[in-house]
Amino acid sequence: MYTFSYLILRTFQISGTKTMSDTASILSFMELALKQAKLALDRLEVPVGCVIVEKGMVIASGSNRTSETRNATRHAEMEAIDILMEQWQMEGLNFEQVAQRFSTCDLYVTCEPCIMCAAALSIIGIREVYYGCANDKFGGCGSILPLHEGASLGFSSTSSKARAFKCTGGILSAEAVALLRSFYEQGNPNAPKPHRQVRASQFQLGIGSSVDH
Amino acid sequence: MPWQIVHVPDKPPSSPELSTVDVLASVIEPKLANTLVRKLNQICPLENLRHVKRVQKRSVEGKVELSVILCRQNEHESLCAGMPNDVLQLASTYQLSPYKTKVAKYAALSKEEWKEQSKLWPTSYHPSTIPYEVTGFAEEESQLIVKYMKFAMRLMTTPNGKVVNAAVIVDPLGGKIIASGNDQTLFRLPTNETISNCINGSEQSATTFSFQHGGDSLGNIPEDSKSKLLPCDFSRVSCMYPWRWTEPRSDNGKEKCDGNFSWHPLRHATLVSIENAAARDRQLFPCLEYQNNLPLRNGVCDCSENNPIKRQKIQLSENAGVISEDASPENLPSEVLRPYLCTGFDIYILWEPCVMCAMALVHQRIRRIFYAFPNPIAGALGSVYNLQGEKSLNHHYSVFRIQIPEE
Repeated sequence: MYTFSYLILRTFQISGTKTMSDTASILSFMELALKQAKLALDRLEVPVGCVIVEKGMVIASGSNRTSETRNATRHAEMEAIDILMEQWQMEGLNFEQVAQRFSTCDLYVTCEPCIMCAAALSIIGIREVYYGCANDKFGGCGSILPLHEGASLGFSSTSSKARAFKCTGGILSAEAVALLRSFYEQGNPNAPKPHRQVRASQFQLGIGSSVDH
Repeated sequence: MPWQIVHVPDKPPSSPELSTVDVLASVIEPKLANTLVRKLNQICPLENLRHVKRVQKRSVEGKVELSVILCRQNEHESLCAGMPNDVLQLASTYQLSPYKTKVAKYAALSKEEWKEQSKLWPTSYHPSTIPYEVTGFAEEESQLIVKYMKFAMRLMTTPNGKVVNAAVIVDPLGGKIIASGNDQTLFRLPTNETISNCINGSEQSATTFSFQHGGDSLGNIPEDSKSKLLPCDFSRVSCMYPWRWTEPRSDNGKEKCDGNFSWHPLRHATLVSIENAAARDRQLFPCLEYQNNLPLRNGVCDCSENNPIKRQKIQLSENAGVISEDASPENLPSEVLRPYLCTGFDIYILWEPCVMCAMALVHQRIRRIFYAFPNPIAGALGSVYNLQGEKSLNHHYSVFRIQIPEE
């Protein structure tokens, strides 16, 4: 567990303009994202979770499903976005209305969005992103590429101007890292063979025996 | 002009700094050139610098002056400290006076780079044999590559004549199409279901879409499809205009759909084809254990282990580590061939993918990307970003551009 007051202090450092109640709600939304990440861990997925918040309400949540779906693009962010896309289309929202809704939504995710997700968040036009730990290898919100800045690509037409979104990191990052660490310590059961330390003898034993259900 | 397959380098071709290495060289008498070069090539071949020419020819005050590279020079070493004894001996025999100079460290990837590096010291430039530009595709493979790209081109035109991006994921070893998809950001194409069903169906027999080794089952592709390419309206190509979905249009996005979405701003052709590949994977290699929420044993789907024959073959493949290229895939049970994501697969995309799609292909472990048209607005594989050269990523693919002849 973490020290609450310490975290409030730290969050103040990150975004000095936030009021006390803002900070408390940021932390509580990140707690919900962490809960999603724990659900992913229980399903033997890389534990990353998120919630999408509109007008102070959680309207969608998601967690990593890359192993289950065998689709490595099914990150928590994509899961949550799809829930909203499905729901809003069932409600009959058109392009303009969907874009309008996304522009009032904030994302809370336990790990910095990867390059793919950061680009996706820019495409849907999310308002603001809060993340936990940085993503040193794939991060698209500054670690590797600063896609949240909406790099202008030198074209003046509206369609080619990348949308920027505000991005704040380091919120409950220790908790996010702890979850990731516990996952990688137990070993990623879906990683390709050469990347894992598997003793051949163990494997031979395994293949001959049957599984207890 | 024939179809051309051009490697898209990891680094932008006009990299500002030229990386160099130090060598020791010496001016020589022109008449000694043949003798010295022969001896030097024997006693001190330029390993790892095969692109560098041994002799430099310059014109100094109207006279030809020849210099020869004696050996490599390590950094921080005094002039002759790193010289092998044989070379030292040669230098003293012929009264050479070594000096330090710089040569290009790597073979040039482009003509421009070659011109630049030759200013230091002459190098050779072979567009067909330099290591990164793997135009070393055998004729047979080149033909297959063109065929797959033609297949992707069939998917780029909607029934009402609109042009969208399309992608085809291919297993080059098995010579079959794994999945395909096209843009669904603005509307869902009615043809798409048919195509993916067709491919899924064909997997059971694995014949319909199998066209390896010069097979001609793609003969039904209209040869004139390419001539209709240009000029046309590219504004619906999602990777080129990722934000177009937010613009006001006549269609309001309320089309009926049978799936979950009739449109979706993130359903670019690449992501759709990855999803179809994953669906095929789940369908062909269902894993009961996973559904029961039990850990996979060593990452291998063990659902077949009650079948002794299959079990034996899984073991076989596991012991081999990888399925060797000469093992004929048709003779192995499908469980053995269960891929990890899209490892070993290639993707053919009409337009250079945007950064979202390019990163998705990193995640899905695609082996090679072939695209036909560069995407100057948002392309992530050479045009705007160079994601394939991003060292921090955990997977790296090779990128090729297929130049389609204009007719």
